[in-house]
Amino acid sequence: MARGVNKVILIGNLGQDPDTRYTPNGNAVVNLNLATDESYKDRQTGQLVPKTEWHRVVLFGKIAEVAGQYLKKGSKIYIEGKLQTRKWQGQDGQDRYTTEVVVDINGQMQMLDSREGGSGQQNAPAQQQNAPAQQQNAPAQQQNAPAQQQNAPAQQQNAPAQGQNEGASLPPMPEPVGDPDGFDDDIPF
Amino acid sequence: MSRGVNKVILIGNLGQDPDLKNAQNGNAICNLNLATDESYKDRQTGQLVPKTEWHRVVLFGKVAEVAGQYLKKGSKVYIEGKLQTRKWQGEDGQDRYTTEVVVDITGQMQMLDSKASEE
Repeated sequence: MARGVNKVILIGNLGQDPDTRYTPNGNAVVNLNLATDESYKDRQTGQLVPKTEWHRVVLFGKIAEVAGQYLKKGSKIYIEGKLQTRKWQGQDGQDRYTTEVVVDINGQMQMLDSREGGSGQQNAPAQQQNAPAQQQNAPAQQQNAPAQQQNAPAQQQNAPAQGQNEGASLPPMPEPVGDPDGFDDDIPF
Repeated sequence: MSRGVNKVILIGNLGQDPDLKNAQNGNAICNLNLATDESYKDRQTGQLVPKTEWHRVVLFGKVAEVAGQYLKKGSKVYIEGKLQTRKWQGEDGQDRYTTEVVVDITGQMQMLDSKASEE
């Protein structure tokens, strides 16, 4: 049996409505674009530096159906899944790799919006997050704009050699993916 | 302040020796290639189906130095970090994205090999 651990835990907001597809045998597959807010206060200036990390989340099975039905752009959710990297070929015939957070039967998805904000009964017990869906959209969108500026401060902490985290700009990906799994994705990232 | 959660937990083995580098400012950066074993038993045949997932792990700072010094190919480690995707350009000028598990000051690395087993 497996002796390793491969676990990802995310709490964030959806950058767009869920994308539901069905496999030939009728199983639902839902793709989510999830933003985790990692803004921080600059020690020197005391100013809040916006930082968003975007994650590709793929749900399978029952939980995918629930996600497709009840989630929408701006929804806040808890995700517990595993990392999986798959290989695909770009239109130029070159190999590309995409890393996703996969939520299957071993994973979990919980909706964190209060009932008022979300639609449906399956929502998590109402917590203090009674921001209606409209307000929740706002932070996700604001984060897109300043994405460019995020690079500079982020690099101080991390590898200088590496261009950090452009993910926040949510680039509209040009090429459709020839996906070996049979789900072709709009965003091969 | 930040209100999201972005956490990755891995236990696996190194596929090769760690790659330790120094940034221009002298800070250590260590790249690991980590395999998590996710083999499972096929329900129908009862046979073990091998399955391995490979992860790119990048450590920064003090923990990078420790990793570079003590880890080697085959070492078993616990990693607690965060997901980060960065964009780079291929030789063809097209954008590529690489997702890594980043272990910085907020993360953790623990060596899981017993001392006795180290030759």
